[in-house]
Amino acid sequence: MSNKKKYSLLASSAAVAFILAACGGSDDSASESGSEGGSTEGGSTEEVEIPTFEQSVTNEGEAIDGGTMSIAYVSDSAFTGIFSWELYESGPDADVMAYTMGQLLGVDENYQYDDTGAASIDVDPETDTVTLTVKDGVTWHDGEPLTADDILFAHEIIGSPDYTGIRYSSDFAAIEGMEAYKNGEADSISGMTLSDDEMTLTIQYESVGVQMLAAGGGVWGYAAPRHYLGEIPIADLESAPEIRENPLGFGPFKVDSIVPGESVSYSAYEDYYRGTPQLDGIELETVSPSTAVAAMENAQFDLFTGGVPTDQYDSFADMPGYTILGQDDLAYTYIGFKLGEWQEAQTDEDGNVTEPAQNVYNPDAKMADVNLRKAMAYAIDNDAVGERFYQGLRRRANSPIIPNFADYYNADVEGYPIDVEEANRLLDEAGYEYDGEFRTTPEGEELVINFASMSGGDVAEPIAEYYIQSWANIGLNVQLVDGRLLEFNSFYDRVEADDPEIDIYQGAWGTGSDPTPDGLWGPTAAFNYTRWVTDENTAYMEDLLSDQGFDTEWRAEVFNEWQEYFMDQVPAIPTLFRKAVYPVNNRVGAFDITPGANLDDPGVGYHTWYLTSEERATE
Amino acid sequence: MWKTIFRRLLLMIPQIIILSILIFIIAEFMPGDPFTGMIDPNVDPAQIDALREQFGLNDPLPVKYVRWVGNALQGDFGRSFNYKTDVLNVIGDRLGNTVRLSLLSTVLTYLIALPLGIFSGRYNDTLFDKGVIIYNFVSFAVPTFVLALLMVFVFGYNLGWFPSRGSIDVQASGFWEESWSRLYHLILPSITTAILGTTSIIQFLRTEIIDAKTSDYVKTARSKGVPIDKVYTRHIFRNASLPIASGFGYTIVNLLTGSIFIERIFNYSGMGNLFIESILSRDYSVIFVLVLFYGILGLIGTLLSDLILMTVDPRIRID
Repeated sequence: MSNKKKYSLLASSAAVAFILAACGGSDDSASESGSEGGSTEGGSTEEVEIPTFEQSVTNEGEAIDGGTMSIAYVSDSAFTGIFSWELYESGPDADVMAYTMGQLLGVDENYQYDDTGAASIDVDPETDTVTLTVKDGVTWHDGEPLTADDILFAHEIIGSPDYTGIRYSSDFAAIEGMEAYKNGEADSISGMTLSDDEMTLTIQYESVGVQMLAAGGGVWGYAAPRHYLGEIPIADLESAPEIRENPLGFGPFKVDSIVPGESVSYSAYEDYYRGTPQLDGIELETVSPSTAVAAMENAQFDLFTGGVPTDQYDSFADMPGYTILGQDDLAYTYIGFKLGEWQEAQTDEDGNVTEPAQNVYNPDAKMADVNLRKAMAYAIDNDAVGERFYQGLRRRANSPIIPNFADYYNADVEGYPIDVEEANRLLDEAGYEYDGEFRTTPEGEELVINFASMSGGDVAEPIAEYYIQSWANIGLNVQLVDGRLLEFNSFYDRVEADDPEIDIYQGAWGTGSDPTPDGLWGPTAAFNYTRWVTDENTAYMEDLLSDQGFDTEWRAEVFNEWQEYFMDQVPAIPTLFRKAVYPVNNRVGAFDITPGANLDDPGVGYHTWYLTSEERATE
Repeated sequence: MWKTIFRRLLLMIPQIIILSILIFIIAEFMPGDPFTGMIDPNVDPAQIDALREQFGLNDPLPVKYVRWVGNALQGDFGRSFNYKTDVLNVIGDRLGNTVRLSLLSTVLTYLIALPLGIFSGRYNDTLFDKGVIIYNFVSFAVPTFVLALLMVFVFGYNLGWFPSRGSIDVQASGFWEESWSRLYHLILPSITTAILGTTSIIQFLRTEIIDAKTSDYVKTARSKGVPIDKVYTRHIFRNASLPIASGFGYTIVNLLTGSIFIERIFNYSGMGNLFIESILSRDYSVIFVLVLFYGILGLIGTLLSDLILMTVDPRIRID
């Protein structure tokens, strides 16, 4: 929807799936997809029509005066109700906050900051500074003007020694004087200076990079009302009623009331800086995925957002009264090959860091042979997985960069469509000879590949089985770790710790809105669970973060080359790109989810939403 | 009797200590911690490590336990990792919802079960009795989540008589409106719980009454000329309700624990929902307090049941 930070989908979807498995009596898709799992063995069969989605809809009719739009937030994990960009943790909180708290910076279609928001940003590579300038006329819901001092306050919250949240990062540590402030040695952050009119904030960084121009790329694009929260000790902020019951933002809607974990009602903020919202208000309710479709059948909501269950897509694809919009999710699924180990920071006798914590590649790892990895990629038919298991809402990924980043996504990379012959040829050439049913290593030793996959959702098991079967077809003996799917927590515990029992694993990755892949594939990235490091890759990462990247054409070129390189090395097989769907009732006049669309266009910004009828459409 | 109660209460102390140690050990074996799987390109793994350190998750088990007990004795049960606020606040927010739901469910359970049990026992082998038996088989066999989902779909969605999720309408304001909204949201989940809870009560009552009908004291009473209705209300019912009374202590305690299935399906934020969410997200501080709380309730429930039994049936003495 907007540039709000997308969370790793794993946490919530695993929890969702667990509960659904426990009480999903109504859900008959399990048996269906189970039997389909069998029929896809050995490649694709008949064609399934792949749905295409519009990103916007305009319904005819005059706008009614005001009206309340009701939104179903589909999720099994309730929002915790922390209305603060600095302190929240869970994805649902971000979504619930988006209507009211307001964000400083607008984005274009590539999620790069532009000047459409409440503030503008300027990144200066010459002086290593970032300048944020707040526009005139932006006010908090209590009428106080938004100033750059509120941005400074947001930094002070996160930088405070008493801060309890998760947002502090190396991006903050790179601000001059932040470390001293964090350690309690300084009363203020020396690298942050306010202009005299308090509308401009200049931040001195150790170095700035082009990734800072992307949403989520390192610059904190949020503000906190100092006049409202300034007196509260930082340690008490997260439980303060000013955050939980009466939050103050500068977004298009004010919070009226909150039922923790269940629902929120918002009313229009008339002095919203982009214009008075056309709706009177919004009511948002948490709806369990198991009953979301029933709620749709009864036209109980105008919009379904959050985790609309894509595995039930068949049951609501043609829902009367609704238009289903869809767009690529900021996430992809992948199968990673364990290629090394994580090494903690090395220190000398005085405790000085001699070598930072980093990934260490192991050339002798079981999966170190690139031909083996390629063969495994060719052996599986992800086109069929997307069609069969996800009704076309997922499709084969050809690159580790998602198509949403239009300027950086390399559509020309072919990736690994199913090609069993090629897979066999690669293995034959690399010396993996058959010994009985399965192949051995080139050295003639038995080869058993241990596959870690997470439980959760109806299709987790059939998909894992399908992959194992496909690999058996090319003579590879792949076994599930422990002989079963792993529960979410133990999966991550073991993958993170480089458990030697795990050779390959299936994971998913929320990319956020910054395309720069160093957080997942960089040499010092702890999330690089494959532990894959090469000199070439490190050079690509450095290039992508370098000053030269301000030349976007050059940067796009590096992105393209890196994707080719990555897919050639396949440290991980990107398996599926995902679609997120948003059913919208036909009484909503205009609705648009195109990333980066002009917020003042009908249906884009929340304040432009309008209704064309008092009653929800049922056909 | 008071001596017994006092002794039983004293005995609870070591039981609670053992329980708390057990919880800690088991929690230690659970894979993952509150920060597991928090994979987000906007979150720095170093900060997560720093938080693990800050909240003492890396400390050895005895250190964690002693610290927790020390704080708990001063009334500080820690901070929920999920909800980022005091554990007691988190639980307090949900306890009210759960108590309301269970109270109404219990009342409804007895309202349905007592007449059905009594009349099917009194007029056994009639058409009515057969109907009750069939109802009993069904309510015993149907899993909670099936009935709950069925109720949601039929009465919540298709007929639209009741709200199908939540504990209160977000727009409700003022005491009367809020109370009405709460009650309205309670009806469907509490009827569901009540239907499922009636089985054993009906079954016990029915068999006991059928047994009692042929017993000597009833014959004696009848031959003395006591009217049949009076025999049922004064003599038979009192005896037949003994097995039910023995479970009544647990019933009271169950008012506070909540039902995971019901709360989950009706999106009702109560104790059951909180419990399962805390376990899934490894919200240790909440898990500890909840398990301990349930444990203590269990102990109190046993005691209460014994006391109730003692009061109802003078033949029973516990010393």
